[in-house]
Amino acid sequence: MIKTETAQYSVEQIVKSFGGARALSNVSMSVESGEVHCLAGENGSGKSTLIKIMSGVHAPDSGIIRLAEKEFTHLSPREAVQEGIQVIFQDFSLLPNLSVAENIALPTRIFNNTKFISKKETRNIAIEALELIGVDMDITAPVADISIASKQLIAIARATNLGVKMLFMDEPTTALTRKEINRLFQVVDQLKKRGVATVFVSHKIDEIQEICSTITVLRNGEVVADGLMKDFGAKEISKAMTGQDISTTRIAPMLKKTNKQVLEVKKLTSTHTFDEISFSVAPGEILGITGLLGSGRTELAEAIFGKYPVDSGEIVINGQSVELNSSTAALEAGIGYVPPDRLTQGLFLEQSILRNLVAVGVDSYKSKLGMLSPKKLIEVGSRWISDLSIKTKNSANPVTSLSGGNQQRVVLAKWFAMKPRLMILNGPTVGVDVGSKREILEIIKVRASEGMSFVVVSDDIPELIQICHRVLVIKNGRISREFEESELKDSLLYKELN
Amino acid sequence: MSNSLQRFTTSGLLSDRKVTQLMGFTVLTFVVFSYFSSDIFFSRENFQSMAYQVPEVAILSIAVMLSMLTGGIDLSIVGISNAAALMAAYIMTQNMTDEGKISNTWILIACLLGISLGLACGVINAVLISILNVTPILATLATMTLFNGIAIGITNGESISSLPEQFVRIGNGTFFGIPTPFVLMIMIAIVVGFIINRTSLGLKVFLIGTNRKAAQYSVMGDRKVIAWTYILSGFLSSLAGLIIASRTSAASPDFGNSYILLAIVIVVLGGVNPMGGFGTVTGVILATIVLQMVASGFNALRFSQFLYLAAQGGVLVLVMMLNVVLERIRVSKSINKSLGS
Amino acid sequence: MKINFKKLLSRNETVLIFAIVIFAFVIGSKSPEFFTLANLFDILRSSFVQLLFALGVLIVIISGGIDVSFPIVGIFAGYTAVVIMQKFELNGESLLIPIVLAIVIGVLLGGFNAIAIAGFGIPTLIATLGTAGVFRGVMLSFVGASFISDIPIALDKFSTADLIKFESEAGTLVRLHVLVIPIAVITVLISLMLSRTFFGRSIYALGGGVESTRRLGISVKRTQTKIYMLVGGLSGLAGILYVSLQRKANPYDLAGSELDVIAAVVLGGASIMGGYGTVFGTVLGVLFINMIKNNLVLLGVSSSWQRAAVGVLLVIGITIQAISENRKNRQRRSATETEGE
Repeated sequence: MIKTETAQYSVEQIVKSFGGARALSNVSMSVESGEVHCLAGENGSGKSTLIKIMSGVHAPDSGIIRLAEKEFTHLSPREAVQEGIQVIFQDFSLLPNLSVAENIALPTRIFNNTKFISKKETRNIAIEALELIGVDMDITAPVADISIASKQLIAIARATNLGVKMLFMDEPTTALTRKEINRLFQVVDQLKKRGVATVFVSHKIDEIQEICSTITVLRNGEVVADGLMKDFGAKEISKAMTGQDISTTRIAPMLKKTNKQVLEVKKLTSTHTFDEISFSVAPGEILGITGLLGSGRTELAEAIFGKYPVDSGEIVINGQSVELNSSTAALEAGIGYVPPDRLTQGLFLEQSILRNLVAVGVDSYKSKLGMLSPKKLIEVGSRWISDLSIKTKNSANPVTSLSGGNQQRVVLAKWFAMKPRLMILNGPTVGVDVGSKREILEIIKVRASEGMSFVVVSDDIPELIQICHRVLVIKNGRISREFEESELKDSLLYKELN
Repeated sequence: MSNSLQRFTTSGLLSDRKVTQLMGFTVLTFVVFSYFSSDIFFSRENFQSMAYQVPEVAILSIAVMLSMLTGGIDLSIVGISNAAALMAAYIMTQNMTDEGKISNTWILIACLLGISLGLACGVINAVLISILNVTPILATLATMTLFNGIAIGITNGESISSLPEQFVRIGNGTFFGIPTPFVLMIMIAIVVGFIINRTSLGLKVFLIGTNRKAAQYSVMGDRKVIAWTYILSGFLSSLAGLIIASRTSAASPDFGNSYILLAIVIVVLGGVNPMGGFGTVTGVILATIVLQMVASGFNALRFSQFLYLAAQGGVLVLVMMLNVVLERIRVSKSINKSLGS
Repeated sequence: MKINFKKLLSRNETVLIFAIVIFAFVIGSKSPEFFTLANLFDILRSSFVQLLFALGVLIVIISGGIDVSFPIVGIFAGYTAVVIMQKFELNGESLLIPIVLAIVIGVLLGGFNAIAIAGFGIPTLIATLGTAGVFRGVMLSFVGASFISDIPIALDKFSTADLIKFESEAGTLVRLHVLVIPIAVITVLISLMLSRTFFGRSIYALGGGVESTRRLGISVKRTQTKIYMLVGGLSGLAGILYVSLQRKANPYDLAGSELDVIAAVVLGGASIMGGYGTVFGTVLGVLFINMIKNNLVLLGVSSSWQRAAVGVLLVIGITIQAISENRKNRQRRSATETEGE
């Protein structure tokens, strides 16, 4: 392959706001062909916004996009594709009703402006692309029927297939096993040789140290560090991303010794998802569950909440065996659940903070006559706003007026209002600024010391080390190891995960 | 009512403002038509006739509002109202003497049976939508065809007329000087408004319409709530049907086919968000009055009824476009605000 | 070529073929006249116009939308074409002129739909409900509301342009209209468009996800505009053919026929959520509906039950589809994990 001439792909002084919130402030970043550049930052740092601007999904409020010799104030998605920019988004942007082959071939068609499509050509394009990344799968299957891990591979195949000049990979390794990650890195190496400018977006420090040569770190929408990878150590990168030294000082409260168990899970099985899972949680205990995406951890959490079907096994709450076939049954058994995506699953965005706060157990706020009393609701709302320090002047404001951390507190509050015995939190501090993260962990600690039990599902290892009494690692649907309090050290956990 | 109380009961991004705007618009429409047709429009006969025709449309619109609040839509309202009307009319005419005399008990039975039919139809919708998970548009399109089809089949397309005098008196009489149907409408509006603003069912309706997934994760029995919405919608449609039958002294399988467009225009004009989650009964009532004024205004000004039809469609499309434009302005204003700061 | 029999059997089209065969036998066993060539050709003839409309509806439904304005677009185009020809005394012997006129008018009307839907993002049901009202109102107010029986000669003669025509032994007239050829060609072309062109695949892509399609670099607005203008053209063609076959231009015709067409497309396997649907299924659906409607008489059922029959089929159809969809979702169960931004 002929190496393409070196070109620069960059953004200069980009500013972008949504509603009243500033997402990017004077961000500049530059990548050369053949370079593997890391774009690092926590969730909420502005990484995704930057990617969307470069791929034409959003237009910046101000700033310049420079692609090789051309200058743009903004791009349309089509222009971006034609200038050679490809993005592999976290949600893959696949079309579930079309086949694997068609999904892979579609960008090529767009790039070439093809008018007529032949099935044979689609097949060939797809097979070629998959071969490039060393994957084999049934290309006639509709994407709707395919596993998450396979979908990610299709997304990668699709993007790397074109005459791509600049490729963004947004957190690409989340669903991949170590073997598949190695294969991905081989593909990235190939792209490097072909002169593609690759931007590897991730917050996983060990991975980015392995594959990237240059780095830009974003925090709260600003560039806080950039330069050569070799000039930064892991601790510095992490400090730049979070603004603080990573604390792994434990803040978990003392656990009273007791034989009682709030939750006992016995050989819980859901075919093809998780297998013979057994564990227990004591009153006031905080149990962590971690594992790669696709390991079955979310399904397990939702199964205990009654939202995921179970084929065999038993769940015992406070000594009594219960049938959790619906989330109503789970609520009645005293179990609450904070879902991973608060924007689509946890909050009613256009509604007021107050309405969001009373959304669980609406019936329990009824007065004697069976009506909802606005006065009572406002009282309840005020109580929780102060209890969890939710920063707002008026509970009638829409919940979108709150920051990520405060929004998460609303989701927690609405469940705490039900006085659950056991709270399952899935990714409780995702997309939350560092200060709020700390405060949310404090909130968990306070309630645990009052006797509430927690199951925290997360892939944020430092967070788990800070707050949990024990941590379970799930691999391929089974518990691969349980870490007791004394064994909680980040290096051990990372190792177990991989 | 204290400020935050008020805000809570109508909370949502713009609904307060919308009702006030709508009130202004109502007054404006009234003034315009009164000016251009000071003899025909601005007359007691006209206001009275409007007061008799508004209720049935308003009640049907409230039914559509309910289903829209949950993020769906009930297209079968007219099919249900006609079915209920036909049922009641049939029972009444079957038990009338040749001179047209009938006991009040029979009238009551006829009405109750008509309402039961409406409830049954609502149940069918509820089963399709909340148990079988059929999309509301498709489900109610199907049931609309079914209910309408059965009504046509049974009556052979003919209407049942000459209903008993006592029954007809309801739709054409007055209650302390106010037309009876209008009074019924106000009562229904108050009850429905109470349900959506003061009961847990109502709050759940708003939440489910805003984000069904989050509602499921918040464990509020979303399926049951949605089922009740369509059952209630069927109930209201049957009431509207009875009022229509009483007012026109007839029931027919094809009456009011244009009411479905009218009802949707009204709810959209009345500030109900077509995607769900926001809306007020007051807005719907006001919008009904506006549309009725337009109808009789057009009539008074000798515009054809077809122009009224075009106006309905035009209002619907324009109001939706306006909503989109206003939203874009709002967003760009806040972007400019944050850039300038 | 490997044929996966299990997959084949569970496909919608296969079920529909079975249904057609079963119903054909039921009807045919009661009245053998069903199986005569004359009757079968008649079913075809009554399907032509509907099939054109149905192909348009199919395209819209695959893209994730729904269109209820198409019959109005059709009659508007057909009626206006005739009126224009009369008014400007255009050559009545030309078949091409009215057809071109109607198609152009249809495309323009489709353009209005495109503005509302692609330009302003108005939900498709509401947008087309509104435009239908506007189109119908404008047509009846400004183009004309009268029945025209002396349509241009060429159109009139065309209604009896039979490809095959002979008298059977029983003495009945067996006619296969020449339209079978162009309609078949159009059907095949649309099928090829949907499966072999980028535009066609974009339509499916839209149905699969608007945001994902946009991110790929496909212009959603442009695709939608093309869709609604294409459907408008198809509807216009259907409208003028209808006028010709009926030998009259009645502006009140066709309204209300959207239910039958949508039913045919849905029964043919198109999912109202978008992304799925085939021309073959739509053809089967149209034939099925027409077979039932036209031959109810042979079963001893009066024609006033036609709509009810369609309604029953539709309800059964969507129930079956819903049950199988629910089952598939349960099998596919995979928790959606999203790593937040």
